[in-house]
Amino acid sequence: MPGWIRAFATTKPRVTGGAVGIALTLALVIVAVFAGVIAPVDPFASVAPPLTAPSRSHTLGTDDLGRDVLAGIVHGARTSLLVVLSVTLLASTIGVSIGAVAGYRAGGIDDLLMRLTELVQVVPRFFLAVLVIALFGPGLDRLVLVLGLTSWPAVARVVRAETLSLARREFVEAAHALGSPAVRVLARHVLPNALPAAVVVVSVNAGTIILMEAGLGFIGLGDPHAISWGYLANNAQRFLRVAWWMALFPGAAIALAVLGLNLLGDGLNELLDPRARRVAGL
Amino acid sequence: MRRQRAPMVPLVLLLVVAWTAPAPVRAQDSTPRGGILVVAINADPGHLNPAITTSGATHAAAELIYNGLLGRDERGDPLPDLAESWTIEQGGAVYRFRLRDGVTWHDGKPFTAADVKFTFEEVLLKFHARTKASMGGALAGIDTPDDRTVVFRFKQPYAPLLLQLDATEAPIVARHVYQGTDAQTNPANVNPVGTGPFKAVSYRKGAEIRLARNPAYFKPGLPHLDEIVMRIIPDAGTQVLALENGEVDFLWGVPGPHQARLKADARFRTAQTSYNPGGSNCIMTVSFNLDRPALKDARVRRAVAHALDRNAFLQQILFGEGRVAAAPISSEMAWAHAGGLSLPAFDRAEAARLLDAAGWKKEQGAARVARGVAGVADGTPMAIDFLHFPAFAKYGELMRQHLGAVGIEVTQRPLEPSVFAPTVFKNRAFDTNVISYCNGPDPEIGVRRMYHSSQIGPAPFTNAAGYRNDKVDALFDQASRTVERAPRSALYHQIQEIVAQDLPYVWLVETPTTRAWAARCGGFRPWTGLFAEAAFCKRS
Amino acid sequence: MSARYLLRRLLQVVPAVAGIVLLAFVVVHTAPGDPAVALGGEHGDEAYYAFIRARFGLDRPLPEQLVAYATSVLRGDLGQSFVHGRPVAHVVAERLPATLLLMGTALALSSVAGVLLGVFAARRADRPADLAVRTAALLGHAMPSFWLAQLAAITLALGTGLFPVQGITDPRQAWTGWRHALDVLHHLALPALVLAAGELALTTRLTRTGVLEALGTDYTRTARAKGLSERAVVRHALRNALLPVVTVIGGRAGMLFTGAVLVETVFAWPGLGQLMLSSILTRDIPVLLGLFLLVSLAVIVANLLTDLAYAWLDPRVRYD
Repeated sequence: MPGWIRAFATTKPRVTGGAVGIALTLALVIVAVFAGVIAPVDPFASVAPPLTAPSRSHTLGTDDLGRDVLAGIVHGARTSLLVVLSVTLLASTIGVSIGAVAGYRAGGIDDLLMRLTELVQVVPRFFLAVLVIALFGPGLDRLVLVLGLTSWPAVARVVRAETLSLARREFVEAAHALGSPAVRVLARHVLPNALPAAVVVVSVNAGTIILMEAGLGFIGLGDPHAISWGYLANNAQRFLRVAWWMALFPGAAIALAVLGLNLLGDGLNELLDPRARRVAGL
Repeated sequence: MRRQRAPMVPLVLLLVVAWTAPAPVRAQDSTPRGGILVVAINADPGHLNPAITTSGATHAAAELIYNGLLGRDERGDPLPDLAESWTIEQGGAVYRFRLRDGVTWHDGKPFTAADVKFTFEEVLLKFHARTKASMGGALAGIDTPDDRTVVFRFKQPYAPLLLQLDATEAPIVARHVYQGTDAQTNPANVNPVGTGPFKAVSYRKGAEIRLARNPAYFKPGLPHLDEIVMRIIPDAGTQVLALENGEVDFLWGVPGPHQARLKADARFRTAQTSYNPGGSNCIMTVSFNLDRPALKDARVRRAVAHALDRNAFLQQILFGEGRVAAAPISSEMAWAHAGGLSLPAFDRAEAARLLDAAGWKKEQGAARVARGVAGVADGTPMAIDFLHFPAFAKYGELMRQHLGAVGIEVTQRPLEPSVFAPTVFKNRAFDTNVISYCNGPDPEIGVRRMYHSSQIGPAPFTNAAGYRNDKVDALFDQASRTVERAPRSALYHQIQEIVAQDLPYVWLVETPTTRAWAARCGGFRPWTGLFAEAAFCKRS
Repeated sequence: MSARYLLRRLLQVVPAVAGIVLLAFVVVHTAPGDPAVALGGEHGDEAYYAFIRARFGLDRPLPEQLVAYATSVLRGDLGQSFVHGRPVAHVVAERLPATLLLMGTALALSSVAGVLLGVFAARRADRPADLAVRTAALLGHAMPSFWLAQLAAITLALGTGLFPVQGITDPRQAWTGWRHALDVLHHLALPALVLAAGELALTTRLTRTGVLEALGTDYTRTARAKGLSERAVVRHALRNALLPVVTVIGGRAGMLFTGAVLVETVFAWPGLGQLMLSSILTRDIPVLLGLFLLVSLAVIVANLLTDLAYAWLDPRVRYD
């Protein structure tokens, strides 16, 4: 059994930052998945007089078009989660592949792939997204593509580091000597041990993805057909002084989601890295 | 005794003299002089020459630097500005203007009729969209028999001239600065020389434009202010915060949600007006692309009109500031506005009935499906797109809601202005869109271009619907030749009755704006571009 | 740090820049629509577009265009902005100082504050104060910068009346000299604070981790046993902890620019953020391209500087 699963199972549970992180992230996932149940209102539909404060019928108030803010946040969670998952899938696929190959092969290919990684790491994602959306038009698909194709370096590095250390281990070399093809060795022995570190990186990066999507929505480059937290924050801008709930709740939602993902990442890091475990305290 | 009374006589005489002597001359107006006014503008204008563009940003920032031949009063009627008097001859085919004497440019050179002729021929008629579109075809020539006289000769009587000679529609630039150069790239565009009440002092890109009092301004006693600073603050919310924090004194437009608050605050004054630097008397208008098979049927268009709750647009997007459009021509032009028209009222049942009759049946899904609609394959769902500036996204959302309720699926397509214009007017690649069509001070300027068949693209903001009606064309042509108000009014009424039946557009709401300023300042004229010509600010 | 390492590291900049230029080129040429319109704007006529095509060589084969584009970028010619009617390089250079001022101040503030807070937290590890500092720092990072900016504008500026909500100077005054500098600082305060708050988290956590690690080493135990003052011990630990902090600062250049853009929007700060917004609205692609190249270059340079600083500071690292 990979060491990290054992560690996870035997650690005494206490209210650590990691626990809070898990809770928040889980909340995000649940809200996103059950959006239709939690707020069975179409977030785009005008259901009440505009700019009504939080009340029993509309827990988080309504916006300037009379749309329910709670519905907007809950469905926005779904959009955010979708974006995060898609980007993570894309970035991880690329990152794991490249990192594994680089770490396993070493030598010239490693050098080349690392150069490529450095190159992509340099690209400022937000500005590239702005350029792409300005040229191609707004849409979640473009956003996912841009962010996915530029977020993999961190994953690749981590996977490569783990692969490098693991590839020299005896059991791997034994498997190799016994004739297992490289891919199988990688998949069965190397990657399961490399993945936890990758998950840490991915969860922290997820927070950044959400912030970027919100930032793009804030400057008006979001997808007009998808309710997203960035769109809500952009909309709320004009009404900051007269309808505080329009800005407060989306902003709080973003903050909690990003916080949760960061804490989750920290918690996982603490779990896996013995040094980190000693110095962590939350 | 005699001695005691003696001093009384001179005293009484003195009193009598003092009583009957003329009162000492007191200052005619006790308007405070001096001070700095800080104005918030939405965007960096790029340059300061309002004669080569109709961009609101440039006009807001730069109109105070110039004058037109005429100005406008609160009702929109013409006032003397650079021209002190005028006569209309030959039934409106000839206009003769007598220019003021002693007017100088900011660089000291004298203003003459040659400047006017040059501005129209070499600048306005080449680059100013509205002037070019309206006057361009009608003008025969401009003569300047002497330095103080300008004569406009038209091929036929031209009615609206007097309303399009202000600093917004026809600002006069200096011939000695622009002659022989390309007006679009002349460096004077950022270091302007005008005749206006304020001169440009500095222009820091992206930050602010500073204007200073013109001491040689030709209107005595004006302007009162020493300086005006145009601060570039793109975010409307920040503008309001800046006003409330005392950093800014004047806002061109207060966003809806803040209006009630500012109106109730004794520290500020507000005024509503339909005039805007980019164009006045604007109506948010939905266009139908009449080339599209689904929209060719007038019943479909009528159904859409019935499905839209225009009052909801007014309340939810404009927060009640404005009016539901009662006719195709803005109510601000009372003489041309057809008040008694009955445009389709909000009636979902009627909309559904009309769609059914037109062959769009409600079946399984959310969107209606075509059954026997000319030019549309049976089974096609009723889905249309809706193009708009990103700033008008709310209109798209309400369109989607209201039309979705009757089974029409709407896809919003936000497009930046520079992409919107060719997509709609050159390529005609749209089903519906929303445009803020500004009627201008006269229907000839901003209304004709929406309906006349000669105005169907590719120039932007013309006849988006692609509407063709010979009768309407003829009526517009006749109206532009008729100078008297009453017969002109009748012609415009006829036009409005016809288009209200044909429905090439749905006229949603009229959009005035609310200006706001600090109470210690006053004297603003929100109905014109020279809004601060007579403005003052008391020292706080 | 050897000269060989320095040279190698400098040479690595070349493929990075080349990659960025290639990426920009590919993006512009794979976008739908006519590149002449993207580069020249929508309001031209046929003659104008012919001029644009000739100037950018848009009718020549793609590889030739790429080479031409790369050479002009290297010469500093980033194209012409059709909205401003001036070279992109000029337009960007005009707005750059204001943004650099904002970013630099925020970076300085967050670095200093981050280190101080990190030390503070490390010395009270696992106690409530530690928890409070770490939570606050993390929250500062998790909150969207534009949200924080708006809250600050309303509570700290409008609420107290102590700070202005917009601009870089007071429009009613035309100060010079040190009074002008003070005016700028007064306007800089809130935007820089907001931007710094977002960056604080990482510096704080890294410093704390590094100090705690260093405090646990044998060297520290020995030093303590020998009677060295706690302050001296912490100071030594700090020196070792600063290494990763330095590395991270460089890598954050891209995120700092992003944060600056959003904060500038709220505070009407006349820098690159405002320029980017208006360029997006007008689809001024040359300016957006120029900004992308500029920020990428800044990130490359920042990475370079921090790598060199890291190699210089840490004698244990041998990067031959």
